[in-house]
Amino acid sequence: MESAIYLRRRAANGLALGLSVCATVLGLLFLAWILWVTLQQGIGAIDWKLFTKITAYGAEGGLANAIVGSLVMDVMALAICAPIGVAAGTFLAEYANRTKLGATIRFLNDILLSAPSIVLGLFVYVIVVLPMSKLTGGAVSFSGFAGAVALALIGLPVIVRTTDEMLQLVPGTLREAALSLGVPQWKLTVQVLMRAATSGIVTGVLLALARLAGETAPLLFTAFGNNFMTAHPFDKMESLPVAIYQYTNDPNPALHAIAWAGALLITLFVLGLSLATRLFLRRHRSPND
Amino acid sequence: MIDSLPSAIDLPPWLQAVAARAGERVLPKLAVRGLDFHYGDAHALKRIDLDIPEKQVTAIIGPSGCGKSTLLRVFNRIYAIYQGLRAEGEVLLDGENILDARYSLNRLRGQVGMVFQKPVPFPMTIFENVAWGIRHHEKLSKAGMSGRVEQALRRAALWDEVKDKLKRSALSLSGGQQQRLCIARAIALAPEVLLLDEPTSALDPIATAKIEQLIEELKGDYTLVIVTHNMQQAARVSDRTAFMYLGEMVECDATEKIFTSPAKKQTEDYITGRFG
Repeated sequence: MESAIYLRRRAANGLALGLSVCATVLGLLFLAWILWVTLQQGIGAIDWKLFTKITAYGAEGGLANAIVGSLVMDVMALAICAPIGVAAGTFLAEYANRTKLGATIRFLNDILLSAPSIVLGLFVYVIVVLPMSKLTGGAVSFSGFAGAVALALIGLPVIVRTTDEMLQLVPGTLREAALSLGVPQWKLTVQVLMRAATSGIVTGVLLALARLAGETAPLLFTAFGNNFMTAHPFDKMESLPVAIYQYTNDPNPALHAIAWAGALLITLFVLGLSLATRLFLRRHRSPND
Repeated sequence: MIDSLPSAIDLPPWLQAVAARAGERVLPKLAVRGLDFHYGDAHALKRIDLDIPEKQVTAIIGPSGCGKSTLLRVFNRIYAIYQGLRAEGEVLLDGENILDARYSLNRLRGQVGMVFQKPVPFPMTIFENVAWGIRHHEKLSKAGMSGRVEQALRRAALWDEVKDKLKRSALSLSGGQQQRLCIARAIALAPEVLLLDEPTSALDPIATAKIEQLIEELKGDYTLVIVTHNMQQAARVSDRTAFMYLGEMVECDATEKIFTSPAKKQTEDYITGRFG
């Protein structure tokens, strides 16, 4: 009787274990496959001219303007969304925690987190691109700045959420200990809690950067694209994802190869960011953890 | 003959009134009068009365959930950082009611320091851990600050162990050292009262012994209130012991009396381990 139960439990355990291993392998298989194909197709097209020539030369050119455009817009986007996101996340965790207002903002932030990025692009088209065009008589319409705003909207909810969660992970006793010294809340927040949560907040910012670096849709209606080199924020601006999108739609196989190289560049960039994050976390881990 | 001596009952009413008023004037350092405390709907402290004499160690004991930590957390109003908690009644510090909203938190927390159950060093250097609180209350020169930090660390019996690594992170210290750092941080503000909420429950016996020795040394300068689960500890370190049960103050008396001949049956049952 007992051994029957034991056998059944063993079978159930084996089945559950087998299924979860299968699921893991399936997930990892596709990830490895994607990485392998990207590497295989992209590595051949990575050469000197990829970094020195612009997209205007087409198949004879490279992605220099797209790389510069992506860097400029990603940095601008981060400069916009990181301070706002960290401040908003701090507000949620330290001032609006367990209030109706806080719950509402968290809910809305989660909606923004899962909003289709093309919608954010259209939104920025309406509130930035069109008014700017009107204001300047058409001199400035699509721009790297508008692209950065759209990307910032992608990164913002990620940063708000991680900052909020990381600050909530800081033990309440640390708050009590600081407040029991008579120190005001703002000093506690900035000088103790933010410091205690630094590694988590930095991770959030880097995650947001990794996320927005790969976005195409928000840039189509905002930065538009540009076959020439520019770093001017109010010019139309090329970016790696948009260049990949355009080249893959082209029948010319030489352009496909460049698109693969671009895809590999973005993948390596994100990989590098994740590694940097891990290294940063390892170095800043407190001996108490 | 003892029988023939006049007792208080025999005094004429007017003299009784004078005697009572004279008694009021020598208030203890901290006097709790009719204190009620609520966590939302839960009535956690019920009409607590307690006298905490100056420059002595008062231990508060009782089973889990009896309200002893809650009582301690009223003394510096740290409970006020959470919503839905309220205290009614009076807690008189040198005769002034600290529960009065006009009593500034800044002033109160400068006078009443607190050390918590788990050591909670701030994520800063050892030096900064002590200097950070001082800096908020006083403007000191660099040399003045160094002196104050050293003094506090010496007072907390930690100086010799950390004097060569003041710039190191406080998180690198051992648990017992961290707890002494927390005590240094609290006494650096020169408080009059020091609240200790189970300060050794997270420490090993050797670190515990050091903290207990420190408590002994500190009582000459500070009024100490210690909440503890450990009855031997209460017996070892305190002058007076208060026993609480289910949110009520059962009795408070000289420690020796509480542990040898308590007035209430409940107290006796608890200290002899019959419940709790």
